[in-house]
Amino acid sequence: MKKFKGFALIVMLLCAAIMAAPAMASAADVVVFAAASMTESLNKIADLYKKVAPDATIVYNFDSSGTLKTQIEQGARCDLFISAGQKQMNQLDATADAKINPKKLDKVMAGTRWNIVANQVALIVPKGHNPKHIADFKDVATDKVFLIALGNSDVPVGQYSEEIYKNLKLWDAIKKANKISYASNVKEVLAQVAAGAVDCGIVYTTDAATAKGKVEVVTTAPAGSHKPIVYPAAIMKNAKNAKGAEAFAEFLKGNQAKEVFKSIGFAIPAK
Amino acid sequence: MDLFPLWNSLRIAAISTVITFFTGVCAAYYIAKTPRLIKGVLDCILTLPLVLPPTVIGFFLLVYIGPLGPVGAPVMKWFGWQLTMTWYSAIFSTTIVAFPLMYRTVRGAFESFDKTLLYSGQTLGLSDSFIFWRVMMPTCKQGIIAGTVLAFARALGEYGATSMVTGYIPGRTATISTTVYQLWREGQDALAYKWVFINLAISFIVLVAVNMLESRYRQPKRAVKETLSEEDM
Repeated sequence: MKKFKGFALIVMLLCAAIMAAPAMASAADVVVFAAASMTESLNKIADLYKKVAPDATIVYNFDSSGTLKTQIEQGARCDLFISAGQKQMNQLDATADAKINPKKLDKVMAGTRWNIVANQVALIVPKGHNPKHIADFKDVATDKVFLIALGNSDVPVGQYSEEIYKNLKLWDAIKKANKISYASNVKEVLAQVAAGAVDCGIVYTTDAATAKGKVEVVTTAPAGSHKPIVYPAAIMKNAKNAKGAEAFAEFLKGNQAKEVFKSIGFAIPAK
Repeated sequence: MDLFPLWNSLRIAAISTVITFFTGVCAAYYIAKTPRLIKGVLDCILTLPLVLPPTVIGFFLLVYIGPLGPVGAPVMKWFGWQLTMTWYSAIFSTTIVAFPLMYRTVRGAFESFDKTLLYSGQTLGLSDSFIFWRVMMPTCKQGIIAGTVLAFARALGEYGATSMVTGYIPGRTATISTTVYQLWREGQDALAYKWVFINLAISFIVLVAVNMLESRYRQPKRAVKETLSEEDM
């Protein structure tokens, strides 16, 4: 009897713990998958949206666009997807070229895709710690840089970094010298540079601005070194809360949201 | 195919296992002798890495041995060594996660060690170190080998803490586990499969070797039982 009492107690405690755990996103929530670089701006916008639509709860999932795309592909619940690169959105869009979308995924709700913000990339170093005076993207190929943190090839900022170095004809040299520390998303690149674990890194100017106290921008990417960085956003076809997503999308296109984006350092694309 | 991750994983696992072996055996031996309260507290602290998620361990390591941390910054200043983002940073993380496995297994073996052997040795005038290395260790061989193998396997398969502390730098810090993750992220499934099979092969070889070692050490007991039963007749 004693043993049973003890066992029952443990089971009850477990049940209490499980019930006390936060509930999963309910049908009334709007689940937004967004690129990690939008963390600060979207959190502010959610607070503003709460004043306009107090019943709606925005649930965010911030990570690299490549990770988010894979999660959506694997069936994760997502109402609105904001990617940092056109490639990741194209891979989910049935209207995209078959070469970019070989699996012919059709996750994007027709007519809902738009370009939400534009961004720039910059070379950053740990704040107050640039002993070798790294001043340009080209310095990475010299002895001034032992390690550079870049996003991996599934991360949009990593793809832009690769594009810049391929245009500078330095990509193969950097790879051969084993100088690249690959990170899973742009915030990880930022963390590695802020910790001083690498000599420099390439992130978006908006991310560098949010970590002003820990990193400093050396230079931004030269014009024409990479395709324009425009973030596409779209409502997903199997969104559980399409209405809520549409309402939030309208808010994101509005002036309040645009002011927040501009204050962080994003640019608003023309179309 | 770049085989650096294989060589890197093996050397990290081998070095961690050697460190874990000596520290684990040492800790098990001395803690078995301490009074009960201290034993309880030390036991909890030393077994903690077994229960903590590897990412928590990675986080603490980064905070302490990172270039701006309380341990990492002085080392950087005095010796010019960076303790994170190098291949040997992984040794910190793998040793910490493998240590509890070795420690607990060896402590179990030491605690089930027949004390009469220890006392006989002492009455014969043998020194403590002789008794430890020539009586205690060989008798507890099974437990010690089991602990060492567990530690090696854990060190070889460590991902979370290692990936945080060493990052992923192909040609410098890539291990099999971080390589498989990166290859999956980049969509290179075929290459990821190759590494998975290499890892399976290594694990299989290690376990087969261990089983062979164990059966070899078990036979002498059987021989003793047989001679005893003959005498009974």
